[in-house]
Amino acid sequence: MRRRPSRGRKAADTAVRAVASLAALLGIGVLALILAEVARRGAPALDGAFFTALPGPPGVEGGGLANAILGTLALTAAATAVGVPLGLLAGVYLSEFGRDTRLGAAVRFCVNVLMGLPSILVGLFVWTVLVVPFRSFSGYAGAVALALIMLPVVARTTEDMLALVPHALREGALAVGAPRWRSTLIAFKAARGGLITGVLLAVARVSGETAPLLFTALNSPFWPRSMSEPVANLTVTVFQYAMSPYADWQAKAWGASLLIMAAVLTTSLLARTFARERTR
Amino acid sequence: MNATSPESPLTPPPAVPRPHVAARTGPATADAGGPPKISVRGLDFHYGKQQALFGNDLDIAANRVTAVIGPSGCGKSTHLRVYNRIYQLYRDQRATGEVLLDGVNLLSPATDLIELRRRVGMIFQKPTPFPMSIYENVAYGLKLHYRLGKGEMAEAVERALRGAALWDEVKDALDRPGTALSGGQQQRLCIARAIAVRPEVLLMDEPTSAIDPVATAKIEDLIEELKRDFTIVVVTHNMQQAARVSDFTAFFFEGRIVEFGATRQIFTKPVHRQTEDYITGRFG
Repeated sequence: MRRRPSRGRKAADTAVRAVASLAALLGIGVLALILAEVARRGAPALDGAFFTALPGPPGVEGGGLANAILGTLALTAAATAVGVPLGLLAGVYLSEFGRDTRLGAAVRFCVNVLMGLPSILVGLFVWTVLVVPFRSFSGYAGAVALALIMLPVVARTTEDMLALVPHALREGALAVGAPRWRSTLIAFKAARGGLITGVLLAVARVSGETAPLLFTALNSPFWPRSMSEPVANLTVTVFQYAMSPYADWQAKAWGASLLIMAAVLTTSLLARTFARERTR
Repeated sequence: MNATSPESPLTPPPAVPRPHVAARTGPATADAGGPPKISVRGLDFHYGKQQALFGNDLDIAANRVTAVIGPSGCGKSTHLRVYNRIYQLYRDQRATGEVLLDGVNLLSPATDLIELRRRVGMIFQKPTPFPMSIYENVAYGLKLHYRLGKGEMAEAVERALRGAALWDEVKDALDRPGTALSGGQQQRLCIARAIAVRPEVLLMDEPTSAIDPVATAKIEDLIEELKRDFTIVVVTHNMQQAARVSDFTAFFFEGRIVEFGATRQIFTKPVHRQTEDYITGRFG
């Protein structure tokens, strides 16, 4: 038999390697550029007042975004309180009970669709059901919109993480006489690290969302007092301030961007440590 | 695939004599004395539309070790998994026929599965320690079935760990995670967890196939000890193991029980050609 010459194969190898490396570097490079630019422009805005004071009137220098920071924390916390339990339970259903059922397949399909839904649609949907009937933008509506975005993310990661737990572990629990729900609990415990990772990633995802809040929580120049009123938040503030003609507001938008970015980055890094703990 | 497959026979450690194996001969049913602990009659099993067991009949003698042997895919594990109805976790698996535990059909819909699984414990091929401490692993089953005070619980856990020949190795590390133990220790931990709830029958599904030879020898010794208190059914791929630990042997082939009898007889004078071919390594 005639051997194929290896020269072409080696050239192809070199080419593919080069292109793949370039693409990887490009990805990392763009991220580094964004991080550097946001840090450079945002850092000067982060003074003491930024974290403690209310925003000043348009065109007046000074003030801060303390209300928006607080509001974003409140909205994210409320969304997590609603979206995470629902997502975890949906994931448990998909993995443990609805695995080979028609209902399970239907739910899985819906979760996938929900995951791919543009977030502005989620915002519009919540606007029609929770803002229009009550004739007011509200923190509740904002939290529900964010929760709807978290739900499919948490449900999917929960299903995936539970699927990684060997069947033998559930059988081991059933074999000593555990009822079904207790064997599920064992699987849950075994998947703990991965589940925490999923939840944190979902939190990171919604803490940067703007579109679903535009039609729901809106924004506010005041301290957040009640969830039934518009609630100040960082992302919509960035949106509004960045488009304003005032240099001070634009600087504050950069500051808020830096803050959001830092929060997302921290959450993602935390998520990674938990993911690593799981594989140990 | 595993360290103790028939292709690479593990020679039994000479330090561990097993006189009872040689002593026990003669017909399977007469030998055990007393009624069988488990009686299987006309057991069929289906995975969806595919039939895996065909009319299995088998008597499991009380306080004896019964080995189930046969080539891969012959239905050994499937058969074993009927005894505690663990197969019911999967919706397309179905068993029909009769499996009598002390004369009561455990396939009946009236069977309390939780109580059944307390009475019929199971050890799996891969050790399945729960993601919790060694102590909690053993206490897990106890908490499900018994109301015990703190002191009673600690006693019961110690007794189970001693019963599984693990106590001396872990008594100072009871709060360490069960998953941190070695493979052989994990398997004995699972045995401790199973015997803690005071079962009557122990099912072992290839309990040593994921474990090194030294640890395997320990578990075989343990099986020897355990049969005083429990009726044991062990599925094994390892001919030597079956010969070493069991009193009776059932040879499965393609979902049917080809031959069943006293281990010594099966290994020295098998009636069926298929049994002989399998035992001598001509196939399987």
